[in-house]
Amino acid sequence: MTAVLQLESITKSYGGVRALDSLSLHVAPGEVLGVIGPNGAGKSTLIGVIGGALTPNSGTVTFDGRDISKLSSADRARLGIGRTYQIPRPFTRMTVADNVRLAATNSGHHISQRELEPFVAGILERLGLTPFAEEVAGKLPLLRRKRLELARALALKPRVLLLDEIGAGLVRSETEELIAIIQSLRTEVESMVLIEHVMDVISQCCDRTAVLDFGKMVTVDETPKVLADPVVASLYLGSVAESADTVVVDEGKRAAIRASLTSLVSAPNTAPGTPLLTVDDVWVRYGGLNALKGVSLSVNPGECIALLGANGAGKTTMARSLAGAVPLTSGTISFAGKSIAGLRPDEVTALGIAQCMEGRKIFGTLSIEENLIAGGLDARKHVKAERLEAVYSIFPILKQRRKNSGTALSGGQQQMLAIGRALMSAPTLLVFDEISLGLSPIAVDEVYEALGAIRDSGVSMIVVEQSVDRALGLADRAMVLGQGEITLEGKPAELLADARLLSSYLG
Amino acid sequence: MKNGISILLSRIATPTRVGPRDFIVVAVLAAVAFAVPYFAGTYQQEVGFRILQLGALAAAWNIAAGYTGLVSLGSAAFFGIGVYTMAIASNAGLPIALCVLLAAVMAGLFALIVSPALFRLRGLYFTVGTLALAEAMRIFVVNSPWFGGQAGIFLTARAPKAYDLYWIALLIAVFVVVCVLLLLRSRWSYRMQAVRDDEDVASQLGVRTYRTKLWAFGLSGALIAIVGSIQALNQGIVQPNGGFGMSWTIDIVSVAIIGGMGTKVGPWVGAVFIVLLGEFLIQFPEIHLAVVGVVLVLVIRFMPNGIWGTLTLALQKNRNFS
Repeated sequence: MTAVLQLESITKSYGGVRALDSLSLHVAPGEVLGVIGPNGAGKSTLIGVIGGALTPNSGTVTFDGRDISKLSSADRARLGIGRTYQIPRPFTRMTVADNVRLAATNSGHHISQRELEPFVAGILERLGLTPFAEEVAGKLPLLRRKRLELARALALKPRVLLLDEIGAGLVRSETEELIAIIQSLRTEVESMVLIEHVMDVISQCCDRTAVLDFGKMVTVDETPKVLADPVVASLYLGSVAESADTVVVDEGKRAAIRASLTSLVSAPNTAPGTPLLTVDDVWVRYGGLNALKGVSLSVNPGECIALLGANGAGKTTMARSLAGAVPLTSGTISFAGKSIAGLRPDEVTALGIAQCMEGRKIFGTLSIEENLIAGGLDARKHVKAERLEAVYSIFPILKQRRKNSGTALSGGQQQMLAIGRALMSAPTLLVFDEISLGLSPIAVDEVYEALGAIRDSGVSMIVVEQSVDRALGLADRAMVLGQGEITLEGKPAELLADARLLSSYLG
Repeated sequence: MKNGISILLSRIATPTRVGPRDFIVVAVLAAVAFAVPYFAGTYQQEVGFRILQLGALAAAWNIAAGYTGLVSLGSAAFFGIGVYTMAIASNAGLPIALCVLLAAVMAGLFALIVSPALFRLRGLYFTVGTLALAEAMRIFVVNSPWFGGQAGIFLTARAPKAYDLYWIALLIAVFVVVCVLLLLRSRWSYRMQAVRDDEDVASQLGVRTYRTKLWAFGLSGALIAIVGSIQALNQGIVQPNGGFGMSWTIDIVSVAIIGGMGTKVGPWVGAVFIVLLGEFLIQFPEIHLAVVGVVLVLVIRFMPNGIWGTLTLALQKNRNFS
């Protein structure tokens, strides 16, 4: 049996960094191959090299026995290699149907004008996009954008599908729908390559799974064997792996972190017994859409709140309105006794609310150290230096690489940088938005360990999360947002026991 | 990285579908315009010529810039190629219609020759590249021995009458409009928009981006050269600073942006606006330039979709685009 897709000692470097290091891999006909590995292992680079968006420094890509290394990505698409992007990239101004039409009319298969409409309608139907066919793609929420990514790739009538983290950013019910779609595709697409951090997708869809690290193949084997491999557990899965022992806590390190944190957080100057942050009946409207419909909540000094909810529930809008980045339609937000409605983001930060935004938002043109300094520009020079040292002692990796560009770090390290940057303003309230998004399980472990230490330092926190278990493990109190309203509120233990949590969460 | 051009491009709405109605509207308008010389004087015919000329230029530019995202400041190069092709070919005794065709072919060839270098540049860099290219062409024509240097070339062909010019311009304007409408009806329309909005994704969906850009850039340039070739007939003399002058580029861009980039009607609205404004301020040429500049700034700031784009959006508010 010959491979559909064969990669022969592919090397791809960016500057001095080898994203792929003489990697060889094959995909058999009828196979779904999973690719996992820590952030920065070269997984997205791999898809880029197969799809033709990236040119490797050396090595060959063979498709169906033919060397396609020299072909453009358009020609590869026409041969039957379809790909989706990690962050969906629809043509936002075209309608959903036009997005699919574009792919259908540029595939390697000629399609007449008469065949086109039924073909497009069929694909939209399969992915549940028919009701939105004439909607502008830019208006779609995340899950539908992901479906559109798949729809466009399918419109190429591909023989091989490359799916880059299609499960990222979805809640559990959405992931389950996605798994069902992927499984249904097995009959019409010859082979698939899935890059995933969502282990359910890997374990339920993939026949074989390859593990990458530093651009090299660690192992590739049948999925159950790979997931049971202790090397993979220590490298990638972390506490998710059943075989791993409970995470060992290094008490000495914890104490050092706690000491560093004292210079990085400020004590709130509120009267005892009053909440630090009060959000009262806040409405936020974008265009004609109500993103928040009368949300009220309060955060006490030293409290950690988890804010949960499905995609589009209004979590990020809530976080952004706390930052002053979104104008309130009505309602008030007061922090330490002062109203922050109408303040600019920098004024809000100066009052003591720091943001760790969704998608990390590292400045790529600045070095790691400059990124950190950008988080605390208002402080005096010696205070800045002191805080910088404190951040470095919490995240030593940042110190080692402090002259490097902020985006040269792996995803987990970038998230640490974002946390460090938020701490540089010595806040009294920290808002973390989707901090585990797109991170490997083991990187999420590390990030949440840091969050635990930050919580113990007595600063107030709001943690906006998709990952329910992680957030509930950290929080003192949790709230569930649904359709812009708080639908459920309580202690983590109560919520975990409450069946309504799941149902409201699944929407 | 966001720059002014990508922001401007990001505000263009997807063109509305082209149907038989559009062709009927064009036919009716063309019939009305055809009748103008029968009841209007020479002055009106000259103003009409200018409107048709600028409208056709802006509509042609719009194919590359508005629909495909190739915001070129090199229109003068194509215009100049048209001007000089007409001068040299008609002096050589070729029939006028053939000279016009030759102008288009030369411009298309020029696009083909410069595309490998130009298409390596994207966004703002492409724009700057085209600007440099047009200037290089002007300097080349000034200094090379074949084109009469600064003095230029006299046309031996008999100068056409005002109404002849008007009708030729009308014919060409209709040709440009029909080209644009046919293009928007075809599958190229989606390809061009896809290249404009996200070239990498377009390529991953099987769109041959280089070919798409070349078609758009070449067609746009060829149409500009056709208009240029008529300008040579109009002037009777061609000179580097007139044919390859920056002022053509600036006029085209102002007309398209004020009227509405990436819209079918915008360039024509812009042309009517600019030409009538010019006639209104004919006594005060300095003020005219200043007014156009201020209007351009105001339009970019407050009506990024131009006069026509803003109007249509206001009329169909629900067509929300991001």
